[in-house]
Amino acid sequence: MTSFDPDAVSKIHRHLHSHLPSESALRVKALESLLVEKGLVDSATIDAWVEAYSEEVGPKRGALVVAKAWIDPGFKSRLMQDAVSAIDELGYLGKATAHLKVVENTATIHNLVVCTLCSCYPFSILGIAPNWYKTAAYRSRAVRDPRGVLEEFGVDLDDDIEVRVWDSTAELRYLVLPQRPEATQGFSEAALAKLVTRNSMIGTHRTLSPGSEG
Amino acid sequence: MDGVHDLGGKQGFGPIDVDEVEVPFHADWEGRMWAIAQCARSPDWTIDWWRHVRELIDPVDYLSRPYFDSWAQTHIAAFIDSGELTLDEIVSNQSAAIPANQQPSQDNEDIFAAIEAQAYRFDREIEAQPAYRVGDRVFTRQLLPRHHTRLPAYARGKPGVIHAHHGAHVFADASAQGNEIAQHLYSVVFEAGDLWIEAGNRKDRVFIDLWESYLDPAQD
Repeated sequence: MTSFDPDAVSKIHRHLHSHLPSESALRVKALESLLVEKGLVDSATIDAWVEAYSEEVGPKRGALVVAKAWIDPGFKSRLMQDAVSAIDELGYLGKATAHLKVVENTATIHNLVVCTLCSCYPFSILGIAPNWYKTAAYRSRAVRDPRGVLEEFGVDLDDDIEVRVWDSTAELRYLVLPQRPEATQGFSEAALAKLVTRNSMIGTHRTLSPGSEG
Repeated sequence: MDGVHDLGGKQGFGPIDVDEVEVPFHADWEGRMWAIAQCARSPDWTIDWWRHVRELIDPVDYLSRPYFDSWAQTHIAAFIDSGELTLDEIVSNQSAAIPANQQPSQDNEDIFAAIEAQAYRFDREIEAQPAYRVGDRVFTRQLLPRHHTRLPAYARGKPGVIHAHHGAHVFADASAQGNEIAQHLYSVVFEAGDLWIEAGNRKDRVFIDLWESYLDPAQD
């Protein structure tokens, strides 16, 4: 039974601090082998989870959502009204996206997503969060100095563009809908999706271009 | 809890590694840890308890050790607390228990079904009517609970406006203590100038999702 007692857990953490091997890989190995010995996990299952998040479940899902919204006004309208149902149409509803909001960049608004208290992220549509998203540097500065953060990412904003920072403090997750790049009339959904960067869906990239693949 | 995890607005942290290589995992052990966290947990943990266990890591370790390392320590500590593991077992790296029935292996199809099944909903029906409507002016309370909370320190005692009402959601503070209580949840918008002394008239806003008991009506 879980104690829900922070003092008990602080004591456990102190013991672990003194006794766990320093190397992270050894800590995880010890945990995995014990859980396997106890029949609580299975190593082949672990392999399958790693593979899922290495291949299929990643930002290419979010990119397809964005591209579809650019091409299909009906889908965009559903996405803005009820993002959960809209991503479910594509089979992307899943971990951490049961309460999802899409926030749209415009000529006068730029959106930026952060989790200052931990590292909340819409996993089932963006995959594993980048390391920088989970660092103290990003988490501390995104809410206080968003323009400075954006500048580091190469995003230079005019003063009259409003920055909206979304701090994911509850179970709602946010996806930025970037602006469609210019000169992409006639592009297919798949071709457009290739132009959508992961960072543009977090808000640390603003101007996508037909040459911004990657 | 007034801990180092509550990082919003803290100063002195340096530049962001904007050139980080875009891969899901930077080392094998990161992927293993992510995967363990997806499929091994104690049945009575809540997401908020798990977050609280992570916040309780020694502050120097919290800030200096790798991200997924903190997941390992959180999982180990939470398993020891709930009785699935003992400190001796983790230190000696040997299980004292007679091996239980092994979990059947899951293949890729099972994993995709599991990811979909992780679309956990936190909204609940409650009888109480919401105290605020969109456009209402509010003040956040000066709360300093010892336990887990989701009102960030930088937004305590600040004026904001209700931007959206999300219905009632499971209240994180109670959930971290093992109790499920639902409260109305709002998106509250704050002007940068009301949060940060140096922001002046900068045209920026911060939106924070806050439960009703974090808020008071603004006095006219």
